[in-house]
Amino acid sequence: MRKIAFAWKLCLLLCFLVFKASAQDVTISGSVTDLEKNIPIESVTIRVLGKSTATKTDAKGNFTIMATKGAVLVISSIGFEGQRVTVKDAQKISIKLKSEAADLDDVVVVAMDQKRKPRELGYSTQSVKGAEIQETQRDNFVNSLQGRVAGLTVNPTSGNVGASSQVVLRGFNSLSLSNQPLFVIDGVIADNSSIDENSDGGRGVGLASDRPNRNTDYTNRIADLNPNDIENVTVLKGPEATALYGSQASSGAIVITTRKAKSNKLAVQYDNAIRLQQLTRFPPTIDAYANGTNNLPSNIFRYFGPQYAQGTRLYNNIDAFFRNGFSQTHNLGVDFGIKKSVFRFSSTYLKQEGVIPNNNQERINLSLRNTTKIGKYIEIMPSIAYTRTNTAKVLRSSGGYLLNLLQFPNTVDITTSGDNEGNKIPIFASNVGAEVDNPLWNVQNNRGRDQTDRLFATLGLNINPTPWLSIMGRFGYDTYKTVGSQNFHPQSLNAIVSTALRGGQDNYWRTYKGYNHTINATAKKQFGKFSTRIMAGTMWQDYRTEMYAITGTNLADPDRSDSNNTDPNTRIRLLRNNAGEPNLSIIRQIAFFGELAVSYNNMVFLNYTHRFESASTLPAKNRNYNYPGVSVSAIMSDVFPAIKQGGILSYWKIRGSVASTARLNSAYSTQSVFVNNFASSVIPAFSYGFTNNNPELRPERQSTYEVGTEFKLFKNRLSIDATYYNTLVKDQIIENMRLSYGTGYVLNTQNAASTRNEGVEISLDYQAIQQKDFGWNVRLNFNKMWNSVVAFPPNVSEFYIADTWLYGNARASVLGVGSPTTGIASWGYSRNNAGQILINPSTGLPISDGVFKLRGDRNPAFALGINNIFRYKNWRLSFLWDLKVGGDIFNGNNMLLTGIGRSPLTIDRFKPRVIQGVLNDGFANTATPTVNTISVIPAYNDAYYTASQMPEEAFIEKNINWLRLRDITVSYTVSPKLIRKVNGLKSASLFITGNDLFLITNYSGADPQVSGNTASTRGVGSFGFDYGTLAAPISLNFGIRVGF
Amino acid sequence: MKNINSKILLLMLVTAGIFSCQKKLDEAFPNPNAGVRVPTESLLPGIIGNMVGSSAAAGSAYGTANDGMQVGRYIQYWATNTSGNQFDQMAGATGASDLMGSVWAMQYFGMGQNLKKMIEWGIEEKKWDYVGVGHAISAWGWLTTADMYGDIILREAFNKDQLVFKYDLQQDVYDTVRTICRTAISYLNTTGDSASPANLAKGDAFFYNGDVNKWKKFVYSVMARSFNHLSNKASYNADSVIFYCNLAINDNADNGTARFSNTGITGTSNFYGPFRSNVGTMRQTVFMCNIVNGINPTFLGVADPRAAYLLRENVNNTYRGIRPNGGTSGLVAADQPTNFWGDAFGTTAAPTSDANARYIFKNGAPFPIITASEVKFMLAEAQYRKGNKAAARTAYIDGIRLNFDMLMNDYGSSVPAPRVITIAQRDAFLANTVIVPAAADLNLSDIMLQKYIALFGFNPLETWVDMRRYHYIDVEAATGVQVYNGFTPPTGIDLFSNNNGKLVYRARPRYNSEYLYNIPELTRIGALALDYHTVEQWFSKP
Repeated sequence: MRKIAFAWKLCLLLCFLVFKASAQDVTISGSVTDLEKNIPIESVTIRVLGKSTATKTDAKGNFTIMATKGAVLVISSIGFEGQRVTVKDAQKISIKLKSEAADLDDVVVVAMDQKRKPRELGYSTQSVKGAEIQETQRDNFVNSLQGRVAGLTVNPTSGNVGASSQVVLRGFNSLSLSNQPLFVIDGVIADNSSIDENSDGGRGVGLASDRPNRNTDYTNRIADLNPNDIENVTVLKGPEATALYGSQASSGAIVITTRKAKSNKLAVQYDNAIRLQQLTRFPPTIDAYANGTNNLPSNIFRYFGPQYAQGTRLYNNIDAFFRNGFSQTHNLGVDFGIKKSVFRFSSTYLKQEGVIPNNNQERINLSLRNTTKIGKYIEIMPSIAYTRTNTAKVLRSSGGYLLNLLQFPNTVDITTSGDNEGNKIPIFASNVGAEVDNPLWNVQNNRGRDQTDRLFATLGLNINPTPWLSIMGRFGYDTYKTVGSQNFHPQSLNAIVSTALRGGQDNYWRTYKGYNHTINATAKKQFGKFSTRIMAGTMWQDYRTEMYAITGTNLADPDRSDSNNTDPNTRIRLLRNNAGEPNLSIIRQIAFFGELAVSYNNMVFLNYTHRFESASTLPAKNRNYNYPGVSVSAIMSDVFPAIKQGGILSYWKIRGSVASTARLNSAYSTQSVFVNNFASSVIPAFSYGFTNNNPELRPERQSTYEVGTEFKLFKNRLSIDATYYNTLVKDQIIENMRLSYGTGYVLNTQNAASTRNEGVEISLDYQAIQQKDFGWNVRLNFNKMWNSVVAFPPNVSEFYIADTWLYGNARASVLGVGSPTTGIASWGYSRNNAGQILINPSTGLPISDGVFKLRGDRNPAFALGINNIFRYKNWRLSFLWDLKVGGDIFNGNNMLLTGIGRSPLTIDRFKPRVIQGVLNDGFANTATPTVNTISVIPAYNDAYYTASQMPEEAFIEKNINWLRLRDITVSYTVSPKLIRKVNGLKSASLFITGNDLFLITNYSGADPQVSGNTASTRGVGSFGFDYGTLAAPISLNFGIRVGF
Repeated sequence: MKNINSKILLLMLVTAGIFSCQKKLDEAFPNPNAGVRVPTESLLPGIIGNMVGSSAAAGSAYGTANDGMQVGRYIQYWATNTSGNQFDQMAGATGASDLMGSVWAMQYFGMGQNLKKMIEWGIEEKKWDYVGVGHAISAWGWLTTADMYGDIILREAFNKDQLVFKYDLQQDVYDTVRTICRTAISYLNTTGDSASPANLAKGDAFFYNGDVNKWKKFVYSVMARSFNHLSNKASYNADSVIFYCNLAINDNADNGTARFSNTGITGTSNFYGPFRSNVGTMRQTVFMCNIVNGINPTFLGVADPRAAYLLRENVNNTYRGIRPNGGTSGLVAADQPTNFWGDAFGTTAAPTSDANARYIFKNGAPFPIITASEVKFMLAEAQYRKGNKAAARTAYIDGIRLNFDMLMNDYGSSVPAPRVITIAQRDAFLANTVIVPAAADLNLSDIMLQKYIALFGFNPLETWVDMRRYHYIDVEAATGVQVYNGFTPPTGIDLFSNNNGKLVYRARPRYNSEYLYNIPELTRIGALALDYHTVEQWFSKP
């Protein structure tokens, strides 16, 4: 309070002195500081009223300016209330600026790297601080966002080291295209793709073996970003928020601001962490029965034999297989600078050994970021970041270790996994390749590896020639090269390469080169109480992916991984690779955009944007399209100040926006092309690919409206932000839609369907306790979404995402109008018209209807993230609970386990039972169907447990909930008194972080957070399909953090 | 002024910028990896490969061989080594299964636009031989597809912009087949321009190697089939069959045979070989074994030396087969045959080597589509029906001998040395009156059972046409002998419940093509009925 009083006195004094001023130029120097935080404020504009003279404060908040005595200095900075000071004599003045009254938050970085005051936004955004992300110690930083942002869902695709994560904002809009948001780093678009194994017969940039994104994983590439370089993440969820970014951001945008040096003083930060991991979640199995069938022993990988004889030695193969994961991270950051040029260098070394043997990763991050002021008006911000990631991978899903482990007999010790030559030791068969792999042998011999080197360079340019005009440019070049291979051992029972082919191998070399720039100019002008801002700009994007890929069989040596290892006659390459050229995917887009903003008295804000876009993926006639966006926000508490009386409500804002955007087809889906034909031939042979591509494609049109409100109560201690949105996607581009083969093709590409996606998001922040030594802050993020298909071609009974057909007959499908976009279609029980299960009169067992119908919906009823932060003296405790309620899961693991007699479902196999249903005896649909009375004892008729009697429907678990402790951190900051005793040391702290420690769920499998494919599966993807992928292990991280 | 100039300059720069950007967008539009046009020649290898089992990057297992595995169960060439296979029980495809839909996929996708383009570009480039070959294969494809499914999409086929497709009558397909055959012959007769044997051989390397005359014989063979299939009709004309048989393939050298380069890529190898790993569960049946063992009443007491080529021995070194839907029942272990790759009865996994495999079950074995032997049996049947028993007998002998020769020349690999057939053995067999009776004693059972042997393995589809013509168990009125003497269709619990006691007469159109996306049309033709596969087709009806 004393400081405020002092400032007021100073102001009064200055005002008083005005009267004595005379018209005479004087030099005024001074400093600007934050009234509350008492720290210098950089880039504050000091302008002489009515003149063009202006300057800005430097990093220390200092400025000098020439002004006539009696002139008025206008001091303004975004996020602060402006001040006016009248010049007296040459003097040194000290100005303290007060943060904007109602919203104390920092400015928000919105589209095009523009900074805005939250109060003027007509759409919802949410930010997560870099420190909060770093605290979670997650090496793929997107995994730390789950639960921290309302409406953001992150689906890690497995617990393997190097697994990709699917990121979804506000649910799924597109049925067959990508639903992943755009990632923007310092105003530059960064690639977040994962390798899509599908090459569509060699015409795409996938693998030559053209696989369905399930057997191995390739990381989603934004994981290359060093979490320690993140200053702040802003999630732009709404349509208006991303309208300026255009079609790439039709699923939202995640805008990342990197850490920059604070001053030119040398400062060094170092922290490290050691992580221990353990697998605690595994599909439950039983092990009481020997190999066999119908209670008779036999040498098969099914466990319906008699009970193990007394004294049978059983090995704990699951424990023997997994190891404790161990990893270490070292982060070094150095801030330094020369005068007006400040640098931050940062580096990270990460080495991790996962819980699966032979699943390791090593990563190096190096980055250098600079901010330099040139003259008065120009600021440049170049940066460069290099990442090397090296991952040793193991097979997952079909052919992978996990399914081996579920099927492998525990009477055999898996640690004797191979003979001295590395050969698989057969258990039953003479044909070793025909039986289930020993899981340890599998991970040792089906080896995968990839290495990615990535360079991400950006250049930011700000020119502010006059106070009313600013020009900015953001230029980015993003490039990486991935080199990888995957072996399939000749003796492995593999779904991908049959043993008759004597092993197989994939090699690939992928290069990505992405360039994009944004240039825009903003002009501002004040008309009385009206402020206007007009912005115009252009954006150019050019993304090029090059791929060489080769696959072959008949390995010369199972231990080699070079591409010469395969028999030359068996090698298949991507189409252009045959001519020594890489396969290409090039996407280019040019856009022009403008924004007009009008506000009245800093209370009511109106924003209009328009973007004109042309994209290379579309045919020339449909290539140019444009879309508008408009948003309004009003600070009701300022419009009607009376409502602030009583001191309960301090801030109330309402907002609304309407915008449309487009979504692009994948490159080249406009042309039906020829692919390799592998028939016997003396010349290169071709035939049409599966796909009837469409030269008439139009962009997919998405329109959304959003309304929301924000409250701040009890002196800003409680803030609430609520949003409802409604998105309609019309004219959806359905790629890979099946039709009658009468077209001459199998798959088709059309503008065919419409979907509607709605949701409610509420975030709440409550500063429960704010005392000197003790603080408690709780934040809630609530999210509820619902979706449905509103238009669909009447003749198409089912559209499904082929990758998700992982096991049995269950897949992610859309089955016409009214169906959810997140449905599960599968086979189910045959039923009569009354819905009773039909029973085969000769066996007493039910029958599968053999028809894909909608049997489940993976969309949860709601999700809630609960984040608590406690502070007590030097201690800090933060933990994030993640609650998900509802949503169905196809438990493919359990279906497999049931079929082989390892599921807990089969434990009571000797119990006689009568299955509730009616006999399929011709009377099933009459008024008096014959009730089943046939008693069966499954142990003697284990067909009971197989798919044709117990179809997929039985394994779709309904309304699965989870409550999990995502991250918990305890940290201790060493008190400054102690720090001062160590020379040069500025700060020190210690921390312990736990990840995924605790899970309560009604799911019978390992972990309901599951995804059957990698993040490259498009459309809705395969979250909620549980087959052969590992749950996330629990982690404990220990580390120290010091600053010099 | 200076200001205006700079503004104009700026405007020009912006305009130029936009134009150059548009140009860069144009450049990025076409697919750089794959062409919308390829050499006409390069389409033919895939089209030919597709006749047996496709092997494109865009799918595999489309073709006659895949569906042949199921049809072979209907006609009891083979059965599954365990009980419970629905096709052993004469079921159709059930549920969401694409089984029995491979010929559909072959015709509409595998051939489909590829064949259409080859013909279109062939005409453009005056490569009349490619146009002729295209029509030849097209005619064969339509006939094969119609015989599988009955009514099919014909007139509306290959319209890329259509969402649903109407079915046409089978008789319309038969008419179209003959029209296409005539067109084929007329193009194959056209020489000059860009047609040349050397150029045709580029695409045709693994079928007729550029020999247009052989392609003509192939077309006439398709014509002969189309007339032969209508034997139950009043309009049946034996002379048409005889006429086209005489123009058709009459020599093994002219056999329409898909050959394989067998380079190690699965697609270049035979669908039934270990590489493709498809026939692991198939075992020879008792019916087939009995014909060659001399147990079948028609050939009672004569052991056929071809057994060692076509079938597998057991531990007892005899030829025994299984009963459909019976698994090993009735066969002691030592009587159980090895699988077609030469591994123990219970083994279903493919071996890493095809050294023990024989006949069409080897990776590189040629796979006949139409043989001279088949043509001779068509001729024999037509002559027999016409009453020319002597001519029928001659054709019958030719048919058997040509089959012997084909086996002896092309399929001797891994046949046990003592069982390799000599010319003398062949001639002795032909001289045996049980096999080749006097003309007056020749009956339909002789002809059809010998044809059954001669088409064993590679042509279950054509044998199924024959057996459906004789309703599996028809008895020849004149002789009182069951044509397929000794053939017992499944009954009782061995006949699939959906069949409602009826035998199988057609395949259901491909599930993932029609049952999900063309339902109104299926409803119209009654294909949604669970016993649709038991509905007799037009071709075999009177």
